[in-house]
Amino acid sequence: MQTQELRQVAPAAETNTGDQAFLKLKGITKRYGVDYMAVDDLDIDVPKGKLLGLLGPSGCGKTTTLRMIAGLLDITRGKITIDGDDISHKPPHKRDIGLVFQNYALFPHMTVAQNVAFGLEMRGVGRTEARDRVEEALEMVRLPGYGDRKPKEMSGGQQQRVALARALVIRPRLLLLDEPLSNLDAKLRDDMRIEIREIQQRLQITTVFVTHDQVEALTMCDLVGVMHKGKLAQLGTPEDIYERPADLFVADFVGRTNILDGEIEALDRVRIGASVYPCNTRGLTSGKAKAAIRPHRISLTPSRDRSLVSMATNAAQGKVTRVTYIGDVVQYDIDIGGNTLTTEVHTASAGHSFQSGEKLLCEWKPQDMQVFAQGSGN
Amino acid sequence: MAAITSSVPIAEAPARRKTFPFLLIALLLPMAIINFVAFVLPVIRLGMISFIESRSGGVLTNNYTLENYVDFFTDSFSFELVSNSLILGFGVTLITLCCAYPIALFLHRVSPKWRNMLFVITVSPLLVSSVVRTYGWMVILGDQGVINGILMSSGVIDSPLRLTNNTLGVFVGMVEVLIPYMALSLIAGFGRLENVYEEAAASLGANSWTRFRRVILPLTAPGIALGCLLCFVLSISSFITPKLLGGGRVFLLATEIYDQAVIQLEWPTAAAISVIVLIIFGLALAVYSRVVKRFD
Repeated sequence: MQTQELRQVAPAAETNTGDQAFLKLKGITKRYGVDYMAVDDLDIDVPKGKLLGLLGPSGCGKTTTLRMIAGLLDITRGKITIDGDDISHKPPHKRDIGLVFQNYALFPHMTVAQNVAFGLEMRGVGRTEARDRVEEALEMVRLPGYGDRKPKEMSGGQQQRVALARALVIRPRLLLLDEPLSNLDAKLRDDMRIEIREIQQRLQITTVFVTHDQVEALTMCDLVGVMHKGKLAQLGTPEDIYERPADLFVADFVGRTNILDGEIEALDRVRIGASVYPCNTRGLTSGKAKAAIRPHRISLTPSRDRSLVSMATNAAQGKVTRVTYIGDVVQYDIDIGGNTLTTEVHTASAGHSFQSGEKLLCEWKPQDMQVFAQGSGN
Repeated sequence: MAAITSSVPIAEAPARRKTFPFLLIALLLPMAIINFVAFVLPVIRLGMISFIESRSGGVLTNNYTLENYVDFFTDSFSFELVSNSLILGFGVTLITLCCAYPIALFLHRVSPKWRNMLFVITVSPLLVSSVVRTYGWMVILGDQGVINGILMSSGVIDSPLRLTNNTLGVFVGMVEVLIPYMALSLIAGFGRLENVYEEAAASLGANSWTRFRRVILPLTAPGIALGCLLCFVLSISSFITPKLLGGGRVFLLATEIYDQAVIQLEWPTAAAISVIVLIIFGLALAVYSRVVKRFD
């Protein structure tokens, strides 16, 4: 029950930019067997030209959702419309949707040009026009002149770009990307992320992007839908998702976070261990709670008199129990009397480093501590 | 660092290469010897016999001649044999392909949970000798057989249909005998076919027929080529099924070789026809390798 309440409190729907919805998912549901809900009553609107990221752990239903939009899976219930056109029960080849698969799925028996031309051929585009559009599409993905190669002669990143060209050359109403970067190595993934986003914005093509990688979701997308156990946990801008998570699952899944057990004492007051901290309790006034604080939102100073600390910030005395050097940041695990806080300090800005066993003061702003009712999002 | 790491494989490689061929040769040698003694030598001997002057009573002379081949190519019956065999070979292969392809495609797509069991069922006819299966077809197709019995007792026909002792009977028997081989070869050659290619084609606007023609068929071409080669060779070289279900009325190269060698004792003639069959197989193999290269 509390979960439901929290979802309604979360500013999910309002975060749409107000444009007319172009892709509309209305109550779409996929049930397997008698009672396994792979996707449960999903409502999402995507405005024209926007990039929606579906983010979640494996098995959350994000790929199932994508496959239902593509028409590769039947929907059990609900309605899918593109620009007012009901495609809920159209076969995939009549949907006019570009699809890019995780493993590229380039036809191995065709050359790159034949692959890209396939969709044009299906649409009866004339040979000369098709040749021009194929070359244009290959130029767009920075592979001009690669038309005569076979897919197996190309690297993973190149194959992925061909797959993108093949999906876009037909000028689809909608582009679907199914974990397009997960088979690439880290460096290439960063480049492709920027490239895909650039092409998407240049063409102003409405896109749904499925990923389990929160960095991809936050950096590339206009809207992020976090999915959990077949349901939409939160839909909002990347900033909404990160700064104002709707429930404990979103807070925990997106970005690193400390989760502390506590109890709500009063409105905007939570007790953790022996201390009571001001925070945002979202209207709750009592009950067991979990408090979430991002590691990098906690500032560390050498231990000093508690009375000097401004009343506007939360503070806790603690002792460093572990120091982990990561490179761009140093992680300090700090015992604050029963609870351990993980904190991060940027190495460049660190005036000095702390040692294990050192006494420190941890400070954070009340609005950086998100409090959720016990059991929310699980 | 780079120099050190790159020098390691160079140092190791020759050592590895030295031991490698020994093991390779040791493992290949037994089969190579068997192949040489049981295949290469007999084929050479067969070729030699095919040039020996024919004498009645199975006597082999020391006179070499082209007569056996000249006789074969000037006898109009030979052309009947060749054309019958080729028609049977192509016909049986095509029908077998059409019967086995859907089975193989289904087995390729079915969930792994069922695949093994269904696969075993598909190839289980191989557990029964083709002679026994051919006798089974004689029981089913014969004049007093199951099919004619049912049709006559139900009054559909008055006299039995000729289902056996003719080409029809041979076709039915051969197709049934060869389906497991065809299905096995098809599945072996379906490795490149993945569901995702069909999905990609569908998303690009291809309907199910186009998906079959443009994606499934080319990707399964290696399997089709392998299965067709195997079935073509097996159907041309088989003589038990044609002999039993053809009732001595269907004349093929294989049955003629048997007759010449075992009944007429004309070994040189039988050898010459065998060499011609081998040449046909060689041509089939050449076509196969071209097809495989084309679709690779």
